[in-house]
Amino acid sequence: MKYQVVIAGFGGQGVVFLVKVLALCAGNRDIPFLGTENHGMSQRGGAVSCDIKVGDFSNPVIDNGQADLIIGLDANEALRNLHLLKQGASVISNAKEAFPVLPFEVTWVDANAKALNNEFPIQGLNVFMLGVALAKVKNFPFSVEEVKQAITQMNAKVAQQNLEILDRAMAYAKNL
Amino acid sequence: MKQTLMGNDAIAWGLVHANVDMVSGYPGTPSSEILSVVQKIKNQLELPIYAEWGTNEKVGFEVAYAGAIAGKRTCATMKQVGLNVASDALMSASYIGNLGGMLLIAADDPGFHSSQTEQDSRVFAKFARIPVLDPATPQDAYDMVKQGVALSEKFQVPVMMRPVMRVCHAREIIEMDAETNFKPNEGKFIREVSRWAGVPRDGRLRQGHEVLDRVEAIKQYNWEELLTPEFAQCKGGKLLILTSGTGYAFARETLDDLNLKADIVKIKMPYPLPEAKIREQFEKYEQVLVIEEPYPCVEEQLTHPKLYGKNTGTMHLIDEMKKEHILKAFQSMGFYNGNNIYEVPKLDLGFEVPARPPALCPGCPHRDIYYAIMKVFRKKKSIYPSDIGCYTLALSQGAIDSILCMGASVSMASGFALADPDKTVVATIGDGTFFHSGIPPLLNAVYQGHKFILVILDNSTIAMTGRQPTPERFHQAIDIGKIVEGMGIACMQHTYSHEMQDNIDFMKTVKTQFESPEQVGPLVVRVRQFCILDNERKDDWVPGIFAEVDPELCVACDQCTTVYKCPPMAYNAEGKIEIDPFLCAGCGGCLDVICPTDAFIVDKKKTKGES
Repeated sequence: MKYQVVIAGFGGQGVVFLVKVLALCAGNRDIPFLGTENHGMSQRGGAVSCDIKVGDFSNPVIDNGQADLIIGLDANEALRNLHLLKQGASVISNAKEAFPVLPFEVTWVDANAKALNNEFPIQGLNVFMLGVALAKVKNFPFSVEEVKQAITQMNAKVAQQNLEILDRAMAYAKNL
Repeated sequence: MKQTLMGNDAIAWGLVHANVDMVSGYPGTPSSEILSVVQKIKNQLELPIYAEWGTNEKVGFEVAYAGAIAGKRTCATMKQVGLNVASDALMSASYIGNLGGMLLIAADDPGFHSSQTEQDSRVFAKFARIPVLDPATPQDAYDMVKQGVALSEKFQVPVMMRPVMRVCHAREIIEMDAETNFKPNEGKFIREVSRWAGVPRDGRLRQGHEVLDRVEAIKQYNWEELLTPEFAQCKGGKLLILTSGTGYAFARETLDDLNLKADIVKIKMPYPLPEAKIREQFEKYEQVLVIEEPYPCVEEQLTHPKLYGKNTGTMHLIDEMKKEHILKAFQSMGFYNGNNIYEVPKLDLGFEVPARPPALCPGCPHRDIYYAIMKVFRKKKSIYPSDIGCYTLALSQGAIDSILCMGASVSMASGFALADPDKTVVATIGDGTFFHSGIPPLLNAVYQGHKFILVILDNSTIAMTGRQPTPERFHQAIDIGKIVEGMGIACMQHTYSHEMQDNIDFMKTVKTQFESPEQVGPLVVRVRQFCILDNERKDDWVPGIFAEVDPELCVACDQCTTVYKCPPMAYNAEGKIEIDPFLCAGCGGCLDVICPTDAFIVDKKKTKGES
């Protein structure tokens, strides 16, 4: 298997958390994984994008036209990284208004509105969008159970809340 | 045992598994997590390891280096520009050497992700004539830490390891020792004055000859132990690819993506290279390509008519490695004639995606203090030198005129004040950077009588690199005010207030003092602040007063988005400013002064005690 994911957002949204979750998923199944993270100056509120490569790769960076999926925690940050996608790729994005028409499989949700509506705490935006991806992306490399196990390993204290957010996101996204 | 680790975590575990007793350094992206993770492991497993930040890289290096002279296994960590600061010590340490093993980790940042220069620490190792190891992946980094410490002991000289950002901040599943059986090394200084205190001319000339002999011995080692197994797998043919560090990983993937085959050699130790032995291998090939970053370090050691790389214009000269650069090199060498598969058609969205540069965090007190400085010391009549840290991001507020390197705000304030005495120079520096290298230039300004204002933005943490503690906060608290007073001058003190007018009023008193006839020499101001990401302290400072916008009052004048620049503030579809409720930190800083029409009002629903 070879699968490449870009997670795009801005500093403080918990992009790196998703890298760690998917890394754990790969580790638990014992398949190769390479990821990149942003630290330091690039973390300070600016645009952040992390690359994740599952399968037989040797360098962690995704080049243009190679990614299978973008998970955007912010609409502009998803759009900023479209050049990394290959033909037939998927885009899962948080967006306040209708997403532009794109030659990709696009699912967008207004997750901010849901958080404002107290459907989940905004700190769980990253997990919410991962849930949407799990529900909508057909060839997503990991199962719901694998993701749930990794989320629990990441931080047992907040695992319950994160798992509820994940379930809520999947239930919501199925009907989109 | 398999573990999913980030590169810097892997390096930290490598240090522990190599029985390194002392780790000392200075934070700097992308190296910072190495020492923090060693501290974490040490505390968890209760290991007898010294793992502490030095005041700056030179201090960090020297502490570790003396430990290695005395027989301990040691490590100094820093980023590539930090090595500039430590270089004085490094150059001599290469002559003198050590008894225990010393690993110098200098992390490079090709692509300028978080650095002012894109320099190559491998070239620095070559300049200092010490061996350097260049990992391609976190797994390599873990393995090379152990290898480097052993090499340093074997050849009695500091060994450098140079991971790039894409190793430090890459994450992968690595294989590491299942058990941690830490064995401390005995520290025992053995007096040998001619070695540890060698002086010019005779002592250092002798050591200089020893350096040259050692380099030859290490070349031999490089050939026999590291390169021979690599070349043994090579078959010969059209193209040989020589790689250093991540160049290996990028080259391998590019070949896979293009369905091409070529021999790839991973040069684990890019200096010193056994040049003649490697050139002999070129006979089996038509062409040789070097893939490395950021400088042509391997290429310049191996010059040869068959050799291609940066100096032949075949590979990129600046910015981060991409597979596309390698594809284009293959094309220009005639090794690949297909399409550029990394070129994608540009999608027309019908609008430009707005840029999102890094910004001071919502609720960051730096923003308010810079705002107050600019309000009182007007742009046309002032010069604002600043320094390296989070506050550098006040650039976007127009509150900074110059950035050079750590500590330079103070010495450049001297220079600007001398060169353009009609303007008021207002320099800003953080407490971490002041401790790092701001004190000697302030001493200079005091005894030379250079007249400028220095504002020390004291949030008691090194915020940018992950909130490492500063000397004010740790073990023995050191008072910045007393340091300044110890130079024989006063230190004006202010505590950040979430009421902007307080900060402005204070800056007015600074201006009055500066303009008074009795003011000679520098006027130092220390502003006590906090870091909004500092969970230990922020609750004592942040009032929890959240803001919203009264759309009736907002006249879309751009003052908040161009001068104050707090990230939650943006225009909505109606052309009015709106505050993103998820980003507002509740600092209340915008409620007064900022808006000419007072459109920022308290969000009573979110603010406790108001609803």
